[in-house]
Amino acid sequence: MTVTDLEIGSDRQTPVVKGGGRPKRRARLLPGGLRWILPAFAISVGLIYYSIIYSGYLSFFSWPGGRALMTPVGFGNYISALADPVLWTSLRNTIIYFVVVFIVQVAGGTLFAAAMHSKIRFANLYKVLVVIPVVVAPATLAPAHVEVWQSDGTVNSILGFFGLSALQQPWIGQSTTSLLVVTLVGCWDAIGYGFILIYAGMAQIDPELIEAGRLDGAGNFRVLFSIVLPTLRPIIVSLAILNFITALKLFDSPWLITQGGPAHSSEFLGTMIYAETASSDRNLGYASALSILVLIIAIAVSVFMQLRGRERLTRTKPRRKEAADV
Amino acid sequence: MFETRSRRARITLQLVLTVAVVPFVIPLIAMLQTSFEGQGWGNYLAVVQVPGFPKFFLNTIIIAVASIVIVYVATLAAAFGFSKLRVRGKELYFWLMMAALTLPEVVLIAPLYTTAVKLGLLGTYWSVILPIAALQIPFTVLIARGYVDGIPDAMFEAARIDGASTWRVFWSILVPLSRPMAVALMVLVLIYAWNSYLLPKVFLIDDGMGVVTQLPEFFRRQYNDDTPKILAASVITAIPTIIAYIALQRQFERGMAAGAIK
Repeated sequence: MTVTDLEIGSDRQTPVVKGGGRPKRRARLLPGGLRWILPAFAISVGLIYYSIIYSGYLSFFSWPGGRALMTPVGFGNYISALADPVLWTSLRNTIIYFVVVFIVQVAGGTLFAAAMHSKIRFANLYKVLVVIPVVVAPATLAPAHVEVWQSDGTVNSILGFFGLSALQQPWIGQSTTSLLVVTLVGCWDAIGYGFILIYAGMAQIDPELIEAGRLDGAGNFRVLFSIVLPTLRPIIVSLAILNFITALKLFDSPWLITQGGPAHSSEFLGTMIYAETASSDRNLGYASALSILVLIIAIAVSVFMQLRGRERLTRTKPRRKEAADV
Repeated sequence: MFETRSRRARITLQLVLTVAVVPFVIPLIAMLQTSFEGQGWGNYLAVVQVPGFPKFFLNTIIIAVASIVIVYVATLAAAFGFSKLRVRGKELYFWLMMAALTLPEVVLIAPLYTTAVKLGLLGTYWSVILPIAALQIPFTVLIARGYVDGIPDAMFEAARIDGASTWRVFWSILVPLSRPMAVALMVLVLIYAWNSYLLPKVFLIDDGMGVVTQLPEFFRRQYNDDTPKILAASVITAIPTIIAYIALQRQFERGMAAGAIK
């Protein structure tokens, strides 16, 4: 491969332009690629779209599965889902979980990322500790969280040690605190993820930009809020979308720590759908209707966030350019 | 990022960081400490000697390896097709695939459970491998296509002019050049498959087909809430992932970051 070859390659965007001899000739020269994309397309698009369509179909029936009769119920499943107070509790929990975890993730991730881009001893040790919850399965770590939050667990003994026995309580077993436990475990899982993305994003910021800010007399926090965070906006938008999807499908930790209880106080859509699919008095039609509702929410929210994110991005861009010119 | 000119500022930052990391250490210490309660190492010995214990690891390894192979082959071929070959209406196919990018897996379980029962696939490895692959492919194709777009077309043209077949071009140019990206993506698929819990729980209902994430529940059922042993099992399950992460740190972080920075 010579240098000239590579230079020719740099005009690879020309085929988009219509007309002109070269793109046409190249198009004819290119071998067909349909069979190359077919395996990926069949597995992912095939299986996923099949599931969604089948789900939509099932959602109009009442059906315990297997050989039992499928009773058509029209929109009955949707109506009873929307009338089910557990669904509204789940939605409320999903929103609370999303908002709290997202804020903690961005704040914690930024703190750790900024600190590890500074001169710090044992940076790698801190990093591994923060990222362990990202790589180890929530299902594997759930027993550890139960150990920490149960009545004779670590949190209560720490409170006792500091003479705060008045605050000791059965965190998991009471409906006022079970959601708090699940949400805090979610924060524990999410900070490392935010840290990795924000750390990588910070590494891409032009050091001159920060230097310019410092020359203008900006302190650490000023640099962080006026230069670094605005540049990270695309990452923060991605984190918001990812977090929302995580909250929508949350299953592992609520199921293994609180079982969605007590009295559905820490119920999420994931645990609801699972319970409806796997319990002995299941109604797969109802589970499908819930799945379709989750899907509609997921699509609507990601589109909304993506559009909002982009809008803001274009609005802040010119200002950032000025900063770069200084 | 933070400028610490004075010694005091440096110590303050170090201190803040240490305090911030304490909540991360507490569950890990609680887990280790409790896992040694009672019989000490005996807990670990008892866990390892439980009949069927190696089977949990074997099942997870089979599922992870099969998912990685399927995702790798399908992703590289698709990235090649989308980026360097002629496909009529390719952007439509691409969009159909990307629409599934943020699909919550839980919406798949009711229809797939029904289908698996009908096809007799319930309780087989395929019932977990295929959904894992299906859910990972949109993401890996998005990243891989972006990466392959960055390889100059001229390289492929030159090989073709020299008479190489499409297959040969794929094998001798694309596969070696995309290795760094592919490794990063496969580390992510490995972690995802290793940690998957909902899909095996729904589809692998038989104890003999359990995966590592089901070990704590298995012990809870078998040994009546013998907490130290449950936690010993958790520690044993967590160690391979932690070692894998430390060994493949850079690839893992690159793969994760690739998704969001795009």
